[in-house]
Amino acid sequence: MSDGILVDLRVIWEALVRFFGLEALVLVIGLVVILAWVQVNALFLVWLERKVAGHIQLRIGPKEVGPFGVLQTIVDGIKLLGKELITPQPVSWLLFILSPIMVFTPVLVAFVVLPFGPHLIIRDINVGLMLIFAFGGINVLSILMGGWASNNKYALLGAIRSVAQNVAYEIPLLLSAMSVVVMSGTLSMQGIVEAQEGVWFIFYQPVAGLLYLIGATAETNRAPFDIPEAESELVAGFHTEYSGMRFGLFFLAEYTNMFIVAAVATTLFFGGWRGPFLPGPWWFLIKVYILIFGVMWVRWTFPRLRFDQLMNFAWKYMIPIALLNLLVTALVMKLVR
Amino acid sequence: MLRKTLTEDSFYLNLGPQHPSTHGVLHLLLKLDGERILECKPLVGYSHRAHEHMGQNRTYLQFLPNTSRMDYLGGLCYNHAYCLAVEKACGIEVPERARYIRTVCAELNRISSHLLWFGAYLMDLGAFTPFLYAFDDREDILAILGEVTGSRLTYSYCRFGGVNRDLNQNFLDGTKAFIPKLRKRLKDYRTLVTKNIIFLNRTKGIGTVSAELARDWALTGPNLRACGVAYDLRRAEPYSIYPELEFEIPTATAGDCYDRYWVRMAEMEQSLRIVEQALGRLPEGPVKAAGVPQWIQPPAGDYHFSYESPRGHLGIYFVSDGGRVPLRMKWRTPSFSNLSILSEILPGTLVADTIAILGSIDVVIPEIDR
Amino acid sequence: MSFLEDITPVLAQRFGVENLTAQDRARHGYDLRLALDQERLTELVGLLKEAGCYLEYITAVDQGQVLELLYFFGRYDQPPFRLQVKVAMPKGVAVPSLAGIIRAADWQEREVFDMFGQRFAGHPDLRRILLSEDADFHPLLKDFKPGPEHGGEVVNLERK
Repeated sequence: MSDGILVDLRVIWEALVRFFGLEALVLVIGLVVILAWVQVNALFLVWLERKVAGHIQLRIGPKEVGPFGVLQTIVDGIKLLGKELITPQPVSWLLFILSPIMVFTPVLVAFVVLPFGPHLIIRDINVGLMLIFAFGGINVLSILMGGWASNNKYALLGAIRSVAQNVAYEIPLLLSAMSVVVMSGTLSMQGIVEAQEGVWFIFYQPVAGLLYLIGATAETNRAPFDIPEAESELVAGFHTEYSGMRFGLFFLAEYTNMFIVAAVATTLFFGGWRGPFLPGPWWFLIKVYILIFGVMWVRWTFPRLRFDQLMNFAWKYMIPIALLNLLVTALVMKLVR
Repeated sequence: MLRKTLTEDSFYLNLGPQHPSTHGVLHLLLKLDGERILECKPLVGYSHRAHEHMGQNRTYLQFLPNTSRMDYLGGLCYNHAYCLAVEKACGIEVPERARYIRTVCAELNRISSHLLWFGAYLMDLGAFTPFLYAFDDREDILAILGEVTGSRLTYSYCRFGGVNRDLNQNFLDGTKAFIPKLRKRLKDYRTLVTKNIIFLNRTKGIGTVSAELARDWALTGPNLRACGVAYDLRRAEPYSIYPELEFEIPTATAGDCYDRYWVRMAEMEQSLRIVEQALGRLPEGPVKAAGVPQWIQPPAGDYHFSYESPRGHLGIYFVSDGGRVPLRMKWRTPSFSNLSILSEILPGTLVADTIAILGSIDVVIPEIDR
Repeated sequence: MSFLEDITPVLAQRFGVENLTAQDRARHGYDLRLALDQERLTELVGLLKEAGCYLEYITAVDQGQVLELLYFFGRYDQPPFRLQVKVAMPKGVAVPSLAGIIRAADWQEREVFDMFGQRFAGHPDLRRILLSEDADFHPLLKDFKPGPEHGGEVVNLERK
């Protein structure tokens, strides 16, 4: 009986491979797995955030639903799914509906090139790093779309802030990543990890690493850089008018983005999946979650910066330092080789 | 709507009445150029409950529970002030022990009010954690006060000629344990918040008020003391047992958000000192004066009483015609004057500063609206 | 020399000694009462502002035909000083606004207007402040009787 099913499956598989080609098939399966993984991971991160925040704030966080409240976010997700999707009358409905979908797309694409392990990567393309940053740029666009389409002053202010902030912080982010690229000589994510055999890049590039982490926090709109959605000022910023699962998508995208920037940081500076005893993917996840924990810790400790202070910080300090760092790196590499 | 406003240089933003940072139902009508404020009009009155009108239609005792509903954070102080005002008009002598008990409770109430302000202010600035720390401490005070007053927020503990009931052992033990605990926590707040670079950047030099401007707008309380004027009614027009106690009036010089913050934090320490001293000297005796008439009927005339509430100069003015019901019952609430200065200091700042300044002024909306 | 001793002769000289009454602070909570004609209000307030006083509050008492406007002035120093300025006049007569001299008067006058319907001439923005804009009554006037349209009836206690 079961033998029969397996035979059938193999026949189907071979037919599919013949029809689509092996690569395309792996890609599709990979994307489906990613979709599932992204959801589960985001739910886990939300739970983790609440738990971390709770313990930082002298309380215990969610504890009722499931062991240690693990299922709390799933229940919340179901609640969000069950809510009415309100589309206010004066919005530009096409942009309004597209925005939450668009905010989620680049997030999925980035997962294609993340090296979870020596072989656990969907496609190791030779411009992997570029791909992540390029698609990361779409994020801003969708936030601006959502904020503009909402026809709400708070949302618009949030969107404007978001664009200005993301443009400013993408530059030091890229420049610090470039320093690593200059050292490793490749844009392939897997290649960068391989270049870190022995010593992690964070020891060669501590400045770039720090700049990257600060820039990444700003890029994901996390406190103390959460001014686009500054609750006490702009109510909810660009997603003020969103309800139900549309809001849920923004929310999931935020946490998934957090995972991506932490994963990229791990790849660039902390040796990716390298580590003793445990298999690669375990090390990768451990490093990513440690970084995410650090980001959460910062969020629950610091007040929020003001908008102009944030911009000053990026343009007057981070970008010049990042440029200098890149220059010095290039010089040294030229001399050493 | 959006298109029309955007073609012009400026647009209006209704901050409130429903907004996370207006702490109630305050409505700020802001005229903005981008994020810069050109003009600000505070609109109040959303929670007007006609307390003054009620005061003119109730006997003096019936009005007592109303007092703590005006300022729900400093309810016991309002209670205390009202009793002092009426006692002064009628010439009722309060027993020594009752005066001490009232002062202890009022100062604890002042600390809890400042603690809530501290937490809420930091939340306005985007730091969520101190809010829960402050609430944790405040919870202790509410539990202690609940032990003797029977309520947590809207107290009716003071009576004409004394207090409702004597302190119990739980109150004394709780306060004794609480004082060192809060001292330790204030130290933590100093390292967590006061020295935080982001916090300093957000508050230093923001919303500066000079002493002259403060006088023009009739600022009182910590907001005034942050401008360098050491005006505290507990010292300026001493009432109750304050002349017998040792405490300082913390003042700052710059009059910006940071100084207002600093003054309140320092005031909490002074209030702890007052509580400690008063409890140490707590005399024995009755807690209620004997022979207080059943119907309070102050002699015909008008009476004013000033009290230092957690937010500043609380003035109670009532006119009696010798009857059981006052002819006029006026409450000068400090936040009313303190808030009006916003239209002066907000223009030229950013939206983010609006929140920082509004929070630092420490307004309680129901107290403004009465 | 305290401020009270300084200012008393000045006030007596300029505004008439018969208008000035010393009050028992221990009982009434203020030191001086000055009964004043409304025309001389701005002159007095200018003088008080120069002298370093602040406007504590403005209120009114409905005395039937006459509305008594009461201005309280205090000072930020020791020993304490508090002056009550009493302007009594028939209802419906406008009083000069102080908002141009002391900014704190802006909201205080709006409140008096809101509660008593007293008009202030020259006030920059005399609107209702606590009650809603469409209210057609002034609740602290004695002839105001709250009916069901104002959210229920208030039981008036019988005066002794």
